[in-house]
Amino acid sequence: MSDILRQPAEVIYQAELDALKADDHGAKPENWQLSPQSVVTYLMGGTTASGVVISPKYIGQRRIIETAVATLATDRALLLLGVPGTAKSWVSEHLAAAICGVSTQVIQCTAGTDEQQIRYGWNYAQLLAKGPSREALVPTPLYRAMENGSLCRLEELTRMGSDVQDTLITVLSEKMLPVPELNDAIYARRGFNIIATANNRDKGVNELSSALKRRFNVVVLPLPDDMDQEIDIISRRVSEMSRDLQIPHPKNAAEEIKKVVTMFRELRSGSTLDGKVALKVPSGNLSTAEAIAVMVGGLSQAAWFHQGNLNAQAIGANLLGAIVKDPVQDKLVLEEYLETVLKKRADFSDYYHSINELL
Amino acid sequence: MNSIHYFGIRHHGPGSSRRLVSALEHLKPAMVLIEGPADLSALAPLLAHPDMRLPVALMAFATDNQGASIYYPFAEFSPEYQAICFAVSQQIPVRFIDVPVAQQLAGLLNKSTQAPESTNDAETQHELTEPATAAAASAASSQDPMAMLAQLAGYEDGESWWNQVLEQGSMDDPSLFASISTTMAALRHDNETAETLRREAYMRLQIAEAQKEVEGPIAVVCGAWHVPALQTTHSKKADKALIGELPAKLSAKQFASTWIPWSSPRLAFGSGYGAGVTAPQWYLHLWQQGNDEHAMIHWLTRVANALRDEGTAVSTASVIEATRLCQSLAMVRNRPSAGFEEARDASIACLCFGNPLLWQQIESKLLLGDAVGAVPEDVPLAPLLADLQQWQKQTRLKPSALPVELSLDLRSDAGLAKSVLLRRLQLLDVAWGTPASTGNSRGTFRERWTLLWQPEFAVRLVEQQIYGSTIAQAAAALTAQRLQSEKRLANLADLVLTSLEAQLPDTAALGIQKLAERAAHSSECLELLLALPPLVDINRYGTSREMTLAHLADLVEQMVVQAALALPFAVRNLNEEESERFQQAIDAGHRQLELAQCSSHVLDTWWKALVDITHDDGCDAGARAIASRLLYQNQRLTADETQGLLQKLLSPALPVLRTKSFFAGFFANASEQLLYDHALRQLTNDWLMSLEPQAFIECLPVVRRVFSTLDAMERRRLIDAALQGTPTATVIDATPHQLELLPHSLSVLTKLLQGDPLWMN
Repeated sequence: MSDILRQPAEVIYQAELDALKADDHGAKPENWQLSPQSVVTYLMGGTTASGVVISPKYIGQRRIIETAVATLATDRALLLLGVPGTAKSWVSEHLAAAICGVSTQVIQCTAGTDEQQIRYGWNYAQLLAKGPSREALVPTPLYRAMENGSLCRLEELTRMGSDVQDTLITVLSEKMLPVPELNDAIYARRGFNIIATANNRDKGVNELSSALKRRFNVVVLPLPDDMDQEIDIISRRVSEMSRDLQIPHPKNAAEEIKKVVTMFRELRSGSTLDGKVALKVPSGNLSTAEAIAVMVGGLSQAAWFHQGNLNAQAIGANLLGAIVKDPVQDKLVLEEYLETVLKKRADFSDYYHSINELL
Repeated sequence: MNSIHYFGIRHHGPGSSRRLVSALEHLKPAMVLIEGPADLSALAPLLAHPDMRLPVALMAFATDNQGASIYYPFAEFSPEYQAICFAVSQQIPVRFIDVPVAQQLAGLLNKSTQAPESTNDAETQHELTEPATAAAASAASSQDPMAMLAQLAGYEDGESWWNQVLEQGSMDDPSLFASISTTMAALRHDNETAETLRREAYMRLQIAEAQKEVEGPIAVVCGAWHVPALQTTHSKKADKALIGELPAKLSAKQFASTWIPWSSPRLAFGSGYGAGVTAPQWYLHLWQQGNDEHAMIHWLTRVANALRDEGTAVSTASVIEATRLCQSLAMVRNRPSAGFEEARDASIACLCFGNPLLWQQIESKLLLGDAVGAVPEDVPLAPLLADLQQWQKQTRLKPSALPVELSLDLRSDAGLAKSVLLRRLQLLDVAWGTPASTGNSRGTFRERWTLLWQPEFAVRLVEQQIYGSTIAQAAAALTAQRLQSEKRLANLADLVLTSLEAQLPDTAALGIQKLAERAAHSSECLELLLALPPLVDINRYGTSREMTLAHLADLVEQMVVQAALALPFAVRNLNEEESERFQQAIDAGHRQLELAQCSSHVLDTWWKALVDITHDDGCDAGARAIASRLLYQNQRLTADETQGLLQKLLSPALPVLRTKSFFAGFFANASEQLLYDHALRQLTNDWLMSLEPQAFIECLPVVRRVFSTLDAMERRRLIDAALQGTPTATVIDATPHQLELLPHSLSVLTKLLQGDPLWMN
């Protein structure tokens, strides 16, 4: 095992990608490693013609992924939208890995991102020595993707200032990046495209201008709509992560995951699963990703401090942190939930007690 | 022996229709047989009548008011419709060959007498679903062969698989019908329902019968599911034995049948029509544009237009992108051409900016449409109209195109019947009568109506046909449907009251149940307040009619408490319009409360809410005014307290907007207080005098409104009082002659006041 904490998707799943490539006889858009159908198989899981099992990367509606892949197969850019923790970045990484074999051309957009990080920077030593020239340009991931006809990922697009966002308009509509200083332009090779992700819960941050928005096809990734699906997602990710982090995976994990998901879903939807009791909703959005974090935190705590016993005490503290984001309001919400719901459930009594102690 | 050609179609499948038409043209049959009730064959050619505008439905109903009815809807894209049109245009006989409605209705009637649970008005209306698709759609999904095939092919449901494989593209090849039949034969199990087997036996016998009558090829148009069964040879004896199991026919008098207008949304599967399609408008589009290579562009442009109508800006460029995405989606999904699913997904991604809510907003209008069919005038009368005529005869009410006043005494049976009829029609959106005075006469035994018949009422009644075949039944079913979807408490309560007045107790009971559910979840004060008046009316109505309206009184009390608790928080930061609505709601709610005979602790909560509002500076001035006036009128605020309050709230230090609305609220319907209460008058006077000229002009409309409730004499007294400080007697200039008469007049008045019956003398 290498000492790198987390390898990019194309390295982790290289075997799967190779197997798909070997059996892929479908038509491929130019500069794509796989045919669109194989890309969908890579994300949704399945078996190749020669019998290699492909693990599912995204668990949810197939048509969402199909729309995403079909979008990239045209020359339209793809915007993945969703509340935090709905696997936007995860899908974006795997799409890039499957389509062009490189998922590392990423720009993490922040409030501090400026145009130079999107378009190109200048190598000032070169600039002073030789004057403006192509050699003096410092390429960005977007620049490189255009040059070699691959995908560029933009994470959290709406975090970046609106003026900087709008530099993408020319790139998206005319597929070229003007370099006015050199009276030149970088023309994108076939296969170039952009996958952006954005959070639609805090879209107020820097809402996309409508000019930019209509250059994207938007795919919304929903929260898992049924409980079994969510449990499935969490169990998979948790066992993967516990393997990566070399934490033992106790036998009762599945049982505890079910309880955590029950609590998450009830608080998220504002009513108990049987629909009989209405609940207040905490301010956090209690996404699937947070449930995964709670479980991994719980596993780690169990492994290091509870002799490997995954129990309510180990998970409780993590759960508290995930639910109580606002120390006053959310605490009330949680207390009410404990008293009105959990107290009456025999199988949740250890959670009831351990969370109550922590409160 | 003449040849028989079987055309297995899908009901309402546009692709089936297209292929059927070309196959029929190719075959040139001598007779067309269609899966439909054999005893209604005579009505079939009417479908090709030039005045027939689709969608329409063939309807049969039992005349004995048990409400059993059967519908066979037809749309422009239905293969059966196209086959009938073809036969009529070629002047060849066309005939229905399925089990007669006389027997189907008899079966329904037997079933409803055997199953006592279906006594609910809304449920007695049975819709016959075509067993061909019923086998596919209503059977448990694991046994649904279409869905199974579709899932194997990677489609979302059986519907889209049919669309893609059979009903799209321009497959003009009639040999396809043979392969459909083979597929169905492979799919069919031996466990068909007895009903299906009987129907197929009946059809086989009918086909054999027809064979004897004409020379030349015969075309049989039926659901694809039945084709293998019709093609196999069975002995006539066995078939006849099977038919023998069918229920005995109703006599011709016991049922009637006709064409009725149908509506596009009712063709949809979601409306409860078993053989329906998911998206009638998409099918219509496929039928009209199917062969056009730009069909998808047409459809996406329609989507864009629908979105624009909803106020979303959708550019032409986006429509182009959506079209391209459709194509590449079809490629990713390995499908020959883009279909409904692709169009939907592309519309969401490109036209709705990924927002599924936007799509849901336009979805039903776009997919279901709002078209209503029409039938020619020479078609026999629809049952609801027939029922109305009977009622009109019975109640001796004649439709008139000019308004007619009608006064009803509900204590007489005739009066009650009229009132019930008018209310039921009201529930059916047929506003033949409008109640002349609203609200005040409720609960008493007298009602006044204005009757005005408009021609479109007949059309509407025919449209409402789908809810039932009698007025009572249709009103109950339609109201039940509305109750299910109604969100606002006040509207719910109104519906319940009208249902009670229309003597639909089951519907009313359902409504009360819904009300209780909604009220428990509602915390919106205004909504609760608005729902109170009709509810209290219902309660009073129920007690005077000796009706058991269980828990209604409890519900009223619960809602009063909820409203009272929410009230002080609700009346903050209101704009003028909201404030006005709240004032009216508080006033009306309070008046009802006085009638409702609530227990004292409920009333205490209400009074406390009013006191809280009165003393809370954060509350809206108008609401405070009305609360303090109610307290004042009920002697819960002493004269001194009232004065103090008015002094504070009419103080010139406050912005004129607030004092104005307080003044209007306090004295609305209570301006006579100014005549009698010297202190109040003085305070008001001081306030008016303190206003700047501009502010005074602004206040004039309000002042005028308040004083308009006083009559001329009272106004005169008020002016005198305001000018002189104390009210004075009115001075009359009398002639000597009048003075002479005065003692006599006085004695008459005295007698009158003493209640002397002979006061005239």
